[in-house]
Amino acid sequence: MSTFALLLSQVADALSQSALLFFLGVGLTLIFGLMRIVNFAHGALYMLGAFVGYSIASWSGSYWLALAGAPLVVGLFGVAFEYSILRRLYRRDAHAFLMVTFGLALVVGEAVRLTWGSDALKVPPPPMLSGVVFLLDQPFPVYRLFLAATGIVVAVAIWQFLERSRLGLLIRATSQNAEMASALGVDIKLVRSGVFGIGCGLAALGGVLAAPLVTASNGMAATVIIDAFVIVIIGGMGSFVGSLIGALLIGFVQVFGNYYAPDFALAFMYLVMLAVLVVRPGGLLGKES
Amino acid sequence: MKGVTRLVWIVIAAGLVLAPLGLPPFAMTLLTEAVILGLFAMSLDLMFGYTRLVSFGHAAAYGFGAYASGWLLLHTGMPLLFAVFAAALLTGVLAIGVGWMCTLATGVSFSMLTLALAQLLYAISFKWTSVTGGSDGLAGIPRTIGPFGFAALSSKTGFYYLALACLVGGFLVCLALVRSPFGAVLRGIRENEAKTTALGYNTRLYKIAVVAISYGLGGLAGALYAPFAGFANTELLFWLLSGQVLIMVIVGGSGTLVGPVLGAAFFMLMEHQLSAWTEAWALYFGLIFIAFVLFAPEGLWGLATRLRRPARPGP
Amino acid sequence: MSVPLLELDGVTRRYGALVALDHVDLKVEAGEVRAVIGPNGAGKTTLFNVITGTVRPTAGAIRFAGQAIGRRPSHEVCRLGISRTFQITALFPEMSARANAQLAAQARHARRWQPFGGNKIFKEARARADAALEQLGLSGIADCPAGLLSHGDQRLLEVAMAMAQQPQMLLLDEPTQGLSVEETAQAVDTLARFLKASRMTVLLVEHDMEVVFRLAHRITVLHRGAVIADGVPDAVKADPRVQEAYLGGFD
Repeated sequence: MSTFALLLSQVADALSQSALLFFLGVGLTLIFGLMRIVNFAHGALYMLGAFVGYSIASWSGSYWLALAGAPLVVGLFGVAFEYSILRRLYRRDAHAFLMVTFGLALVVGEAVRLTWGSDALKVPPPPMLSGVVFLLDQPFPVYRLFLAATGIVVAVAIWQFLERSRLGLLIRATSQNAEMASALGVDIKLVRSGVFGIGCGLAALGGVLAAPLVTASNGMAATVIIDAFVIVIIGGMGSFVGSLIGALLIGFVQVFGNYYAPDFALAFMYLVMLAVLVVRPGGLLGKES
Repeated sequence: MKGVTRLVWIVIAAGLVLAPLGLPPFAMTLLTEAVILGLFAMSLDLMFGYTRLVSFGHAAAYGFGAYASGWLLLHTGMPLLFAVFAAALLTGVLAIGVGWMCTLATGVSFSMLTLALAQLLYAISFKWTSVTGGSDGLAGIPRTIGPFGFAALSSKTGFYYLALACLVGGFLVCLALVRSPFGAVLRGIRENEAKTTALGYNTRLYKIAVVAISYGLGGLAGALYAPFAGFANTELLFWLLSGQVLIMVIVGGSGTLVGPVLGAAFFMLMEHQLSAWTEAWALYFGLIFIAFVLFAPEGLWGLATRLRRPARPGP
Repeated sequence: MSVPLLELDGVTRRYGALVALDHVDLKVEAGEVRAVIGPNGAGKTTLFNVITGTVRPTAGAIRFAGQAIGRRPSHEVCRLGISRTFQITALFPEMSARANAQLAAQARHARRWQPFGGNKIFKEARARADAALEQLGLSGIADCPAGLLSHGDQRLLEVAMAMAQQPQMLLLDEPTQGLSVEETAQAVDTLARFLKASRMTVLLVEHDMEVVFRLAHRITVLHRGAVIADGVPDAVKADPRVQEAYLGGFD
């Protein structure tokens, strides 16, 4: 009975962790799928989202406003960055993007440190989401349940958006053949700006959602960028479903690894990635790279 | 024009050799560190500049070399010279495995695998306290004299010359490498790997070899750093250093060997100057780096060459 | 009859339910120029990929100069003496035409690995590269970066690179793909002259029938992965099954 309850709460925990990872991975993979850009600044934008969320929440007193505002602010910042800098690089090789977004990661990281200081900041969850519920006899934070639910909602929303909406169709068309899409009258410049913005906004959403759990700190960018890449590489660069699978896999590996073998938890993640790449160099759902 | 270039080289060489006579101790410390970082950046250029293998985890080589030489100096009483080279050799040999694993993938996945392995090492350096000293790292690393009481390299000046000799030696090795038949194949892989394979080269073996050599030289730089600073800590394995060394290579000018050394010196200078002037130095450095990628992808060395030969035909 | 240089025996390649090659038998004699033709999707490129080791056959055997090569990786097949060009131009764009050919020549050198010096290796490779460029009439543009050459010259440079490897057999995948009418005419003139002078064994895939009839000694026709005709150009031209396949009434 109590073993089962423990297992249940662990699964719930892993699901909420997977949700957080999914917000990270999906933005990265969306941007890569469309633009063939590896956005190294993704972790920094996630962190920026957490801090902007903190400021909005402490200014307005509303967590919900922060949840809506931070992705918007960071998304617009992403659009501006694409418009002013990335756009100059489409004719260059892929490494130029890597370098520029790496530079952006440094700049954002420093800007955050200078603006908000080096201390970790706590973003309290809204009252209705604080506290615990009991899963059978195990106490479990309500906020983590909320995360898991949000993850499912966002995953379904993005999926429907890509599959059903007109804009989603444009995005898929452009990512499969940009020249053809352009010839058919798609304004690919606009689509690229938009997708880059959406990707950055998703990173920020992940940041705000994570903030009540992990506190907003300067170190969070480095850890999450690696997690994000691991997920996307396991799933296959550019594959939406792949990022979902990768996030679930790593979420479970992290939570169960932490519980049963805390000393090796970090190593498990890399071992999983290595194993996947040995078997399928392009990732689980990726094309051969 | 050629005479002028040669003259510049002679002045630089003479300056480096004679530096200990004129510079204050504090400047010598900076210069020694720049020389070590220069070797580190140059080692990455073999992979990035000549083969287009982007390592995001080059700190693994540096940090591993530093911990290895530090451990040998602390625990075995091995003389400085031997410990440094043993550590470099060990790094290079282990990097064959790194190369084997990372070259399973190509492109971005390759880069992420190098990063993942480096982070794994970083995690191990925290956990394996009995060897690495955990989050404290290894401290009080001596520059053990010997063999036979040979002490010339263990003084501050002597150590500078050791580092300089390693840089020059490393440069000559790299130069021979990139100008050899082996180097020609590396450039082929850089420009069109599929075609290189189709011509009958087993490109994966070449890539593994270049990873091993590059990591070995990076390990040499790290092995020098530990006895130079007297410590080795987890920061030497952190991904930030991997990023910084990539910046040095690009800002200096990739695919030139000399450029990255210049880039390392520039990085040191900027860090030192900007940090004295503003707390936000890393921010400005990031902006400078973005500007280089956008407007001067050929780097400092490329800019210098462009100034020397203004009318270069075609792309 | 002598032993053929290249021999395919019942070679089959499946991709899931799709049969890209269906029990293909093929014999190419030394000194012969053989064209493989067929409608789109007939399996021509798969055939090349199977011979060069890029793709493994699902079943069947391939022998080259008496050795089984069906299970060998592509760089080994290449070293045994089969050099190929690609349908889509693949060059080292920033290197000169000569450097391109030189790198190709070096691949056959026993000491291609040498990590230092290498003047002697470079000299030999350069001599072979220059000879190959000469054969394809490219000596004049040897120092030009490959990326800046005209399309026609780029296609010929690919052939020169294959020749610099001193192969026993050459596989040409649509050598006039993407060329204009005039460029095609010029390139075919050069190729015809070169083939006549060198007496090279060639397997050629080509869409353009005029090119095929001009260059090939024998023609093999593939349709849906299977060989439906094999013979001298005039016989193949007259074969009703071939006409049917090309007119699309094969169902």
